[in-house]
Amino acid sequence: MRPHRARHHQTLIVLALVLSGAAGHVSAHDFWVGPSAFRPKVGALVGVRLLVGENMIGDPVPRDPAIIKQFVVATATGTKPVPGRDGGDPAGVMRVDAPGLLVVGYQSHPRTIELTPDTFERYLGEEGLDEVRALVADAPGRKTAREMFSRCAKALLSPDGSPDSGRDRSLGLTLELVAERNPYAIGAGQELPFVLTYDQKPRAGALVIAISQRDPARKLTARTDRQGRVVFALPVGGAWIVKAVHMVAARPGSGVDWESFWASSTFEVPDGARPAAPR
Amino acid sequence: MARDQPRRADALRFMRRPAARIALLLGVLVATGSVSAHEIGTTRVTVAFTPSGEYDIEVSTDAAALVARLESAAGQPRSGTLAAEDLIRRVEELGPQWLGQVRVSFDDRAVTPRLEYPRHRDAPVTDDELFAPVVAKIHLRGPIPPGAREFRWQYGLTASTYGLTVTSASRQPHPTEWLEAGQVSRVYSLGADSRESPAKVALGYLALGFTHILPHGVDHILFVLGLFLFSPRLAPLLWQVSAFTLAHTLTLGLTLYKVVPSFPEVVEPLIALSIVYVAIENLTTSELRVGRLALVFAFGLLHGMGFAGALAAADLPGDELLIGLVGFNLGVEAGQIAVLAAAFLLVASWSRDPLVYRRLVVVPASLLIAVTGVYWTIQRLSHW
Repeated sequence: MRPHRARHHQTLIVLALVLSGAAGHVSAHDFWVGPSAFRPKVGALVGVRLLVGENMIGDPVPRDPAIIKQFVVATATGTKPVPGRDGGDPAGVMRVDAPGLLVVGYQSHPRTIELTPDTFERYLGEEGLDEVRALVADAPGRKTAREMFSRCAKALLSPDGSPDSGRDRSLGLTLELVAERNPYAIGAGQELPFVLTYDQKPRAGALVIAISQRDPARKLTARTDRQGRVVFALPVGGAWIVKAVHMVAARPGSGVDWESFWASSTFEVPDGARPAAPR
Repeated sequence: MARDQPRRADALRFMRRPAARIALLLGVLVATGSVSAHEIGTTRVTVAFTPSGEYDIEVSTDAAALVARLESAAGQPRSGTLAAEDLIRRVEELGPQWLGQVRVSFDDRAVTPRLEYPRHRDAPVTDDELFAPVVAKIHLRGPIPPGAREFRWQYGLTASTYGLTVTSASRQPHPTEWLEAGQVSRVYSLGADSRESPAKVALGYLALGFTHILPHGVDHILFVLGLFLFSPRLAPLLWQVSAFTLAHTLTLGLTLYKVVPSFPEVVEPLIALSIVYVAIENLTTSELRVGRLALVFAFGLLHGMGFAGALAAADLPGDELLIGLVGFNLGVEAGQIAVLAAAFLLVASWSRDPLVYRRLVVVPASLLIAVTGVYWTIQRLSHW
């Protein structure tokens, strides 16, 4: 091997390692439901996109029946599947047939991923998964993390922008954020409480992050209390995502080390203060 | 000779391979480093190498996400929801900035493509389907650098897994490769799509022609030595070599252009037999007659068909046929001249005395050549 060729190889190896690390970093991307309108008119059709990305800039994910575990919309009258064309973007199209808060929910089947120790530890830090981080730190040696992740995304829509009708509710997602107030009934700066549940039970001590589409760099963070509750005073109107991640040790024999659940809730907050609505 | 052809062709192909091993290494590293199996998004990258030696890469991606990411990266306020035409206009405005997220490289050297948006002009950016997303179709185009053998792609502006499909004018498309943001694609060999400079191509075939004689073409070497040993005088040698060269040039070209069919199973034993003939005739006469010249010409025709087989095994692309033919033939001539020059230097001192030269050089060497020729004839016939 000639010397310049050897250097060439080394450069490529370094490049490959750097880029493989970079590729791993995208594992911490959020996943959310992005409707074509948060305040559609009654009777209108709404496109429901599934989006993956950061800072509320998302790549659309086409509808894939193989990975959809649940894709539903809940209204005052009941819950029904969100229809759509396989392979289509938007993943779902639904008609708004009545006023009242619409709750769209999506849960994916788990997908597996392998992450380098550095990437895994970085993302545990970003998502506030301190318990897992401590377990990883205590474990002998550093090894590739094998993870199985599921998306648990919701969107809250307010037909005709009717502020006072309807509430968020649990759709039975494994990890789920449930807004305790109708976000369309509050104004910017007013308190919006959420409860985070895991397997329908309150999840305490979890890091919940709120990101505004208008000002994504200014992330709001809070830990859930013992009742799984967290309260944000969202300072600006417009579209928001509230998100949380929960991770548990995988069941023996599952072929992975960790199982994670990625909850999100997207909605729009009206600009300007509104009179406090009853909780 | 026929048995040598695949080996030589393999050797030629192997010249193009070192970086393939780097690609394998890279692929393994990337694969084992961190395989990020994300949701597959809608971004698709299609790479085409045109017959005119250009690359044409189409990146099809969600326009809104692209604009938002670029505006965010530049610290600009987000445009928000835009009409399709405005969104596409914004994509084109931000094109130069977007280019910074792309790395197109040939032989690991990045090139700067030109940006074009032909499908924004010629086709609707959305279809009639409800809520059909606005899709940006960005083309990256440019000439494939002369001599380039390998292509690689890297793209950073995506959060989802995207598909890369490399197509080629001369072969089936490669299977779609699924990539994450920042991940370097595997190495794609350009093969017949590479466009080397004509001089470099000719030089490559010249080298192939030369090595087809020296050191690989022992049968041709013995035939040329047979001509050399015929007479110690220069004139008969020049006549014979000229007739041989003219003939093999003729059939090399005609066979390569498929004017004359190739029957290696017939030609190869006949080539061996031609060696036997010239060597035996060297034992009987040193006076050049028209009959000998005609036979040398006829044998040249056979050797030309053999050369064509070797050149065809190199799998030269159609548009390199003429340049390959000329280069290869010149290489063969250079090889012949080298053989004759070496032979002359070796026996120059002995050839001063014709009798000694004949007894100690011509007769034993011709016998040896004839015996070898007989052996090859039998060997090649046995392969029928």
